[in-house]
Amino acid sequence: MPAGRRGPAAQSARRPPPLLPLLLLLCVLGAPRAGSGAHTAVISPQDPTLLIGSSLLATCSVHGDPPGATAEGLYWTLNGRRLPPELSRVLNASTLALALANLNGSRQRSGDNLVCHARDGSILAGSCLYVGLPPEKPVNISCWSKNMKDLTCRWTPGAHGETFLHTNYSLKYKLRWYGQDNTCEEYHTVGPHSCHIPKDLALFTPYEIWVEATNRLGSARSDVLTLDILDVVRSPQKQPGYPHSTENTWPGHHPLGSPVTTDPPPDVHVSRVGGLEDQLSVRWVSPPALKDFLFQAKYQIRYRVEDSVDWKVVDDVSNQTSCRLAGLKPGTVYFVQVRCNPFGIYGSKKAGIWSEWSHPTAASTPRSERPGPGGGACEPRGGEPSSGPVRRELKQFLGWLKKHAYCSNLSFRLYDQWRAWMQKSHKTRNQDEGILPSGRRGTARGPAR
Amino acid sequence: MGFLDRPRAPRGGQKPSMDHPYVPSFPSTPEDPQTDSSVSLLPHLEAKIRQTHSLAHLLTKYAEQLLQEYVQLQGDPFGLPSFSPPRLPVAGLSAPAPSHAGLPVHERLRLDAAALAALPPLLDAVCRRQAELNPRAPRLLRRLEDAARQARALGAAVEALLAALGAANRGPRAEPPAATASAASATGVFPAKVLGLRVCGLYREWLSRTEGDLGQLLPGGSA
Repeated sequence: MPAGRRGPAAQSARRPPPLLPLLLLLCVLGAPRAGSGAHTAVISPQDPTLLIGSSLLATCSVHGDPPGATAEGLYWTLNGRRLPPELSRVLNASTLALALANLNGSRQRSGDNLVCHARDGSILAGSCLYVGLPPEKPVNISCWSKNMKDLTCRWTPGAHGETFLHTNYSLKYKLRWYGQDNTCEEYHTVGPHSCHIPKDLALFTPYEIWVEATNRLGSARSDVLTLDILDVVRSPQKQPGYPHSTENTWPGHHPLGSPVTTDPPPDVHVSRVGGLEDQLSVRWVSPPALKDFLFQAKYQIRYRVEDSVDWKVVDDVSNQTSCRLAGLKPGTVYFVQVRCNPFGIYGSKKAGIWSEWSHPTAASTPRSERPGPGGGACEPRGGEPSSGPVRRELKQFLGWLKKHAYCSNLSFRLYDQWRAWMQKSHKTRNQDEGILPSGRRGTARGPAR
Repeated sequence: MGFLDRPRAPRGGQKPSMDHPYVPSFPSTPEDPQTDSSVSLLPHLEAKIRQTHSLAHLLTKYAEQLLQEYVQLQGDPFGLPSFSPPRLPVAGLSAPAPSHAGLPVHERLRLDAAALAALPPLLDAVCRRQAELNPRAPRLLRRLEDAARQARALGAAVEALLAALGAANRGPRAEPPAATASAASATGVFPAKVLGLRVCGLYREWLSRTEGDLGQLLPGGSA
């Protein structure tokens, strides 16, 4: 039997329907019309609610004028389909019974239509069956705020999801240490199981948030999510993926909570670094929307070759707004993206969620001038450190030097300048030695500066 | 006697009788045999009739869509061709009688206006019930809300036309049935579905009827 509290089964758990004035005067199906000469009937039970797999015994009792109406010839239909006669039994002269076993979930949310017909096919009475399951506990609640004034939450229905009955979900919230329960009113804002609280939310104090699911067969309540609005500010853009990917949480935070994020960095520019054929310079601007929130940001860059799906990620960009990619292939188009992770909002020490990646920006590295076996790919030669691992080691060395040797002027910039000079010198040497492609063989030039 | 009570002159230009005053729209001479007095309307009145007729035509289409959506959401057998529920009487509103077409046009329009005035509370009641039965059917609920509003609007337009034509009801207007506490809470879901179908059907019938009756006021409309 599914989890969750169950309401009364086999009888409708609904409250009585609201007032329908016209029905006072309406000749309702099942109500006898005196002197009309017509027969009507009553089905019992009326509008029962049942668990999937349960059985139902219903009766259709005919009455009318003249008396002595007979159950002979009556038959049942369910959702328009005539039920096999062997399921029916005449209980007495005016009553036909129906036995249904192992009921399936309702085909329609407004109720399955069980109808009692006279011999001529006319409808004598009807009853709606509601067959389903009580709701499961809603799970995976996640919430975020676009502007520190509102809150949007979404959740997932319980494990089985389908209850075959209309299930009402209600998002509730309250201040953790005081205040009354409030109910969210704007539903389905970002999907079928979501709700938006537009205003009147406090900062710097935790809220408790939960979801209650209710249908005719019972109700269930989710775990309580505790969060501070300040901790769940995020951009209005779509979430990059499932809201609880591991990259978006940090130790010590409530496992169901969601930290801060921003828009991706705008104005990402990728350009060549002079003539350096294995480098590209990436520059961007910090997201403007959270400028007032006094936050710092760290960035991440990823790049790939044009016709590849494999991204390489550069993690250690810290809070700079520029970076130089090295160890790239010459004469190759690269796509580059940047994303941002805010931290330190209003003095908070917590890291945030990585924003979405910026729109891809493309640029190409210069073609290699050096002749090679393929005429295009740049093969590393002795004494020319252009590969990634070498560069990393060099970076470590420079860092160590700065710490221990007080060489504050040493930097990658100096190193890159040296490499550019080395390449130009190499070109000049090749020209002098006649190694360059035809048309330029033998041309003498002065040494490169 | 107002305009609509005047016997219609046959086409072909029979002169209007001086015993039957009418609202002249054109400076025609009594001797002009080509004058068709049945279409002597003031231009603005004729425009109003056309406008109201167009509205009725449009709303009739909407009523068809409402009915289709309604039966679909109640589930089988409501949408099946063989489905033939009892045509239950509805308080304060009946279907157009077979004799409706034989009545004078002003009387028909009065009945149309009365039906259009009675429909909104019935449609509202159906909407409320459907909000319980089909809460995830916003389009149906919106159509029902719109239908109530549109019935009021068309009814008011028809009454305005009747007043302009001097054929409005002069007596106190009958109020639609008021809401009262009732044993309605005991009414089952299936009867409520059937009732809603009946109301939607009546809505469509009366709109269609109104469109036809207004059409007869237009030049070229048959008596």
